[in-house]
Amino acid sequence: MSEGANMTKKADKVPAARTKAPNYRRREKTKDFLCTVPALGFFAAFVYYPIIELFRISFTNWNLIKDNYKYVGLKNYTWLFAGSGAEKWLASLRITFTYTFWEIAITLAGGMLLAALFNRESKPFSTMRAIVFMPKYIGVSTSAIVFMWILNDQFGILNYVLNAFGIASQPWLNSEKTALASVLILTGWRVVGDGMMIYLSAMKGISPEYYEAAKLDGANGLQRFRFITLPLLSPTTLFLFVTTFIASMKVFQSVDVMTSGGPYEATNVMVYWIYELAFVEFRVDRAAAVACIFFAILLAFTMATMKLSDKNVHYES
Amino acid sequence: MKRISCAIIAVSMLMAMTMGVGAADADKYAVKAPIKIQWWHAMEAQYKPLIDKVVADFEKQNPMIDVEAIYQGSYADLNEKLIAAQAAGTTLPAVTVANTPYIAQYGDSGMCEILDPYIQATSFDIKDFGAGLRVASSFKGKQVSLPFLISTQIMFYNKDMADAEKIKLPETWADMDTFMAKASKVSNGATQRYATVIPGWDQWYFETFYLNSGVNIVNDDNKTTDLGSAKAVEIAKQLKKWCDSKQAYWAYGKDASGIMRQNFIDGKTFSVIHTTSLYNMYATNCKFKVGMHYLPGNKTRDSEIGGSVLLIPSKNKQDVKNAGWKLLSYLTSKEVNMLWASETGYMPTRNSVTQTAEAKAYLAEKPAFKAVFDNLDHINPRIQHPAYSALAKIWMQEMAKVVIEGGDVQASMQKAAKQIDEALQD
Repeated sequence: MSEGANMTKKADKVPAARTKAPNYRRREKTKDFLCTVPALGFFAAFVYYPIIELFRISFTNWNLIKDNYKYVGLKNYTWLFAGSGAEKWLASLRITFTYTFWEIAITLAGGMLLAALFNRESKPFSTMRAIVFMPKYIGVSTSAIVFMWILNDQFGILNYVLNAFGIASQPWLNSEKTALASVLILTGWRVVGDGMMIYLSAMKGISPEYYEAAKLDGANGLQRFRFITLPLLSPTTLFLFVTTFIASMKVFQSVDVMTSGGPYEATNVMVYWIYELAFVEFRVDRAAAVACIFFAILLAFTMATMKLSDKNVHYES
Repeated sequence: MKRISCAIIAVSMLMAMTMGVGAADADKYAVKAPIKIQWWHAMEAQYKPLIDKVVADFEKQNPMIDVEAIYQGSYADLNEKLIAAQAAGTTLPAVTVANTPYIAQYGDSGMCEILDPYIQATSFDIKDFGAGLRVASSFKGKQVSLPFLISTQIMFYNKDMADAEKIKLPETWADMDTFMAKASKVSNGATQRYATVIPGWDQWYFETFYLNSGVNIVNDDNKTTDLGSAKAVEIAKQLKKWCDSKQAYWAYGKDASGIMRQNFIDGKTFSVIHTTSLYNMYATNCKFKVGMHYLPGNKTRDSEIGGSVLLIPSKNKQDVKNAGWKLLSYLTSKEVNMLWASETGYMPTRNSVTQTAEAKAYLAEKPAFKAVFDNLDHINPRIQHPAYSALAKIWMQEMAKVVIEGGDVQASMQKAAKQIDEALQD
């Protein structure tokens, strides 16, 4: 076979290989996509479709039980921002953010403190870790009922203990000054162990070499914590911040069981208000409008946090 | 003679036609094939044997209908599940209970099957229920439900204490001051015993004081309230005055009902205002005799209906509705009416039942119920308005705030009235 013929053959082969590769990639991509279809279908049916429906309902006057309803344009949003709903909406938003702030503070500060305290390998510490972590796995409603009795004005053990020290009984759940704090007592008891466990696992992942080098340089315990532990825990802190933020903004169960949004709406957090609008006042149209705006707020805050964290989070790698 | 014969034939034909039509209608609502239906209720576990018995008796009489009685939680829980099922249009029960305040909203939304044709076709004795009960279970003149477990507001009192200390129970609003002073024990600003407890967690309990004084909770225009009027403010001031002087206390909050009951059981309050349906609970748990006293009147002396009604969701298929009607008419029949009353503490709902030997035996066993039986004609339906839930919440909160936390009663009532007007007009 002449050299010229060989060249021609090679030239024929190259385009064939080139066309084969994209086909292969396309097939692989299709396969990958098909693998995600069940999950996507699930999300489409139970997450995305309800979101679209919620948005649609917010432009209607549907009350959930009537079959007939009509589109009312921006009426529900006007009620929310410029009508009688505005005052309640701002109050509810303030209460929700206050609750969220404290839950995040308890989870991060309490969790980190306990993790630093319990970061030791011995049986008593492991028992204490288990005790602190356990409340997370007790149902919210069950714990809420127990806490209602602990915090009860007349028969509660907390007031009994306070009285023993000469301190007057407090109407923990029935005063607007203490109701939110009382709900946060339950929240703190439940979440602090979770924060501790996550911080503990992150602390165990920090290479001991950093601490040894710092020790050699004369850094004390506080300095080692400030300049090594804290920065290297920042990805975990970000993770805990975002997940706690989203979870606490959606608080419902503890408020429903312990206060029903009261007293005098002092614990009327956003999700509870949405529930009341839909199922007590039969205004699912308004509830949908509030839920849509609330969704937008959550999305915006989460995105902003992620954006800000790019600059301030230190990844060890 | 011929004329008389013609007349007899004509009347006979007319009667035959009428009966034929009636029979045809009855046939329309008959159950023709075996069917399984659900009945949603809100009666807790302690009533399961009673429910099982009633359902078994019904199934014995109606072998083609298999009933599954399902406890759905409190009235509020049941409401959530029911409206979710209604929105979905599936999994609806054939028959469900509903708390009386929901009837306006359900009726307004066309959620309930209109029962009038069923009542006519099956000659169901609807008039045996008191007029108030019929109105309470209907909406805009149409019977959308039937009275089931009915209660009303009442004052439970410690009869032993009343007899020992010769405490006269208040018959009128004007008697209340004397009663509060006599029945309470307050010294050095501390209360050893309250005269009464006012349940502030639900406006239904104190609403009757306003109604009996002539306050229109919802005016005839259906868009405004009189709760900001001088008359209403005066009543609110009076209620606050008794609480401020510690002769009474305003029970408020999630655990208020439990605390109030415990205080009564422990003898820390002479009386409590509560629902008649809880008589059995008080009578069983108190170590003293429990009396019931009809709430004091003013211009009128009426109370309001509480408890639940039974309805058939209109989205059901006709065969389910027919079986549902069979069950509904049985559950509200004379046959089981007294059974519900004696086993649960709710009131008998049928007039004919109150005249029976069974009812007499019931009164002999629970003489306290005489206060209720004597006033059956004064128990009125609740106010029906689709925005009543919103109204109730605003009013309840403002009252609690001004009584417990303090503040200007007039300003508070006027603020509530303004918000309520907005809710009603909405």
